[in-house]
Amino acid sequence: MGKMLRAVFFGQLRAAEMEHLIERSWYAVTETCLAFTVFRDDFSPRFVALFTLLLFLKCFHWLAEDRIDYMERSPTISWKFHFRALSLMFVLGLLDILFVRHAFYSTMSKGPSVQLVFGFEYEILLTVVMMTFIKYLLHTIDLQSQNPWDNKAVYLLYSELVMGFVRVILYVAFVFIMIKVHTFPLFAIRPMYLTVRAFQKAAQDVILSRRAIRNMNTLYPDATPEELASGDNVCIICREEMTSGCKKLPCNHIFHTSCLRSWFQRQQTCPTCRLEVLRMSRPPHQQQQQQEQQQAPQPQQAQNQNGQAPLDQMQNPFQNMPGMFGGMPFQWNGAAGAMPPPPPFMWQPPPQQQQQQQQAAGTTGQTPSPTSPSSASLTSTAAATTPLEANAQTGGNASTATSSSPSAQVPPFPGFPPFMPGMPGMPGMMPPMFSYGFPSPPSSMAGLSDEELRVMEGIERSNVEARIQWLRDIQALLDGAMVLINQYNSVASQVNSRFSGASPPPVVPISTQQQQASSTTSANWWPAGSGARPKYSSTISNTHTTDSKKERSGSLSSTSEKDEKLIRKEKEGSSVAAGLSQKEEEIPKWSNPREEEHSDEMHEVRKRRLQHFSQQLDTSSSGLESEKNKDMDSSSSDKINPDSEGKH
Amino acid sequence: MAQKRIRKELQDFGKDPPTNCSAGPVGDDIFHWQATIMGPTDSPYYRGVFFLTINFPTDYPFKPPKVAFTTRIYHPNINSNGSICLDILRAQWSPALTISKVLLSICSLLTDPNPDDPLVPDIARTYKTDREKYFKLAKEWTEKYAQ
Repeated sequence: MGKMLRAVFFGQLRAAEMEHLIERSWYAVTETCLAFTVFRDDFSPRFVALFTLLLFLKCFHWLAEDRIDYMERSPTISWKFHFRALSLMFVLGLLDILFVRHAFYSTMSKGPSVQLVFGFEYEILLTVVMMTFIKYLLHTIDLQSQNPWDNKAVYLLYSELVMGFVRVILYVAFVFIMIKVHTFPLFAIRPMYLTVRAFQKAAQDVILSRRAIRNMNTLYPDATPEELASGDNVCIICREEMTSGCKKLPCNHIFHTSCLRSWFQRQQTCPTCRLEVLRMSRPPHQQQQQQEQQQAPQPQQAQNQNGQAPLDQMQNPFQNMPGMFGGMPFQWNGAAGAMPPPPPFMWQPPPQQQQQQQQAAGTTGQTPSPTSPSSASLTSTAAATTPLEANAQTGGNASTATSSSPSAQVPPFPGFPPFMPGMPGMPGMMPPMFSYGFPSPPSSMAGLSDEELRVMEGIERSNVEARIQWLRDIQALLDGAMVLINQYNSVASQVNSRFSGASPPPVVPISTQQQQASSTTSANWWPAGSGARPKYSSTISNTHTTDSKKERSGSLSSTSEKDEKLIRKEKEGSSVAAGLSQKEEEIPKWSNPREEEHSDEMHEVRKRRLQHFSQQLDTSSSGLESEKNKDMDSSSSDKINPDSEGKH
Repeated sequence: MAQKRIRKELQDFGKDPPTNCSAGPVGDDIFHWQATIMGPTDSPYYRGVFFLTINFPTDYPFKPPKVAFTTRIYHPNINSNGSICLDILRAQWSPALTISKVLLSICSLLTDPNPDDPLVPDIARTYKTDREKYFKLAKEWTEKYAQ
């Protein structure tokens, strides 16, 4: 009879199907024998017959599953196949429902018996039938359309997730009831374990793939036609030519977007070089966070008193502190020493970066999910450059007739890179910086409150958390280094700007003089031993102060005016950016609450630590500034080198 | 998708077959291939001809093909069912890999077994402790089953 039914529904079985069947039957028989031991009291021929029937039906379920899977790979599906599959699924589903009903009523009327086991077994089989049917539907829809259906895999993933969840619940309920009624159901352990594993995997797949695909859509750039034309333009996944709709991963490998999406649904690595894309996408964001940190230490100090506040503030910096964003440029340029013609183009990279990162930080502050859309920051960068340019224009026009364009400011030091004059000060400045601002390796968790530590405690996750903690510490160290670098940059640009900013209309003599000065400075400073420094520096400063005292005092007053103008401009620029980033906020967030929470927590911790550092730095830099300001007042701005030298 | 890619691989395989290997579909089913590997010269499997079955999953380039020996072989990483313990056939699979690359990897596995991640611990122990015995047995098996 079994063979007859098989012939009706399946026809000839394929070798793989036979193999599966035998393998699974073996487990099923073993589990049935185990179940016999539990129910040895009701052992009877009827009982054995019922178990045989269950086994028999199970075989059909498996075969149906295999058959539907086969659907995808067989090129042509006949009507006979559809008819067979549908009728088989219908019959199996009906039988399952009948048995479940029967089991339910007999349990209700006669109390718990072996029918409990049957009830659960058939319910599980029912989920199998449902899953098979969903797959059948998806495959059929896929076959109807000519082009491959990208979303099928997504639907499959989700249906698997839901079914896995249902099965886990069923098994947990079953084990719970069995323990209450009889004893621990040993025979259910293996399938239960497998089900839980499958569910866990499905959930993980969904989460990771969503994250990776989101990254792909938001972070990774589309491949340009040139890139496609330049290299081998065969997509390594589908082996077909790439013409459009391609994405470039951070490792510069290019694939079809659809292929990449399908791959990310399974694994989140680059197919070519196995780069883990999810890990890659973090650092830039963190850096931006750090920038934000650094730029707004004061407001955060105020808000950090209660642990939750910084979080809110992160998410909406503009609402909570209207002054913060506008104040940032001021703080940056100002905090670094209220320097005259501000850095914008004198030392190109740092100010622009600052600006960009300010903007970016604004955007990320609004979308604190780990995948900050690069497109957002890109657009805001574009916006950032415009006000900057305007700044440069006005600043240049105001300061001198000659230095109207940024590049014109560089030539005064032809032989040296623009940051050269600042360099001599650096070795001298290093030690105090370190002593003030450099974070000691945070080996102790003192920076963390007990609460945070408790959050990280856990039975299973403690190790992972500890590791994450260490990574955070490393991150904090790196952040501290970044702070230092930025400090150096600003000082360097400051020195530069003083050199050039002090060049009033009769430019030529002064700039040449400065050139001489700088050349002497660098010539003297560069190879000089540490012991010889003060002497040289004093002579230099002397010559400078005597030569160009008057001019400088004149230029200083004008520069302070300019400064204010610039600050205003920058405020405008940042408000533009603020508007922009508020728009960017609309980018759909993927809400994985756990992930968010986690990352937020992480940010908070880092923030706190950073704040700590920046506080220290602030004190150190403010000390620096005050001294510098004094210098400026005495209109001997060139003294900065000896000054910084003399400080330690 | 899977079909297209498998057909392309079949074409490429015909154009540039790897040394010591051959492969092709069994009958009409493009998802089911048979492959042969000639025992590498510097291994005890030399002169042996080993048959393998390859079953492509329906979502092929995204999931690894199932490759198994049908010829019996005495090897620490291949068991009596013909299952092969090879990372690229499991977790380390990548859609950039092809059947010819997989077969080449299997060839190199024949030359250099990996006794630290064995599928048959007995053979791995023999391989580690008594290399001569391993060579002798592997040769015997090759003569017995693969010639």
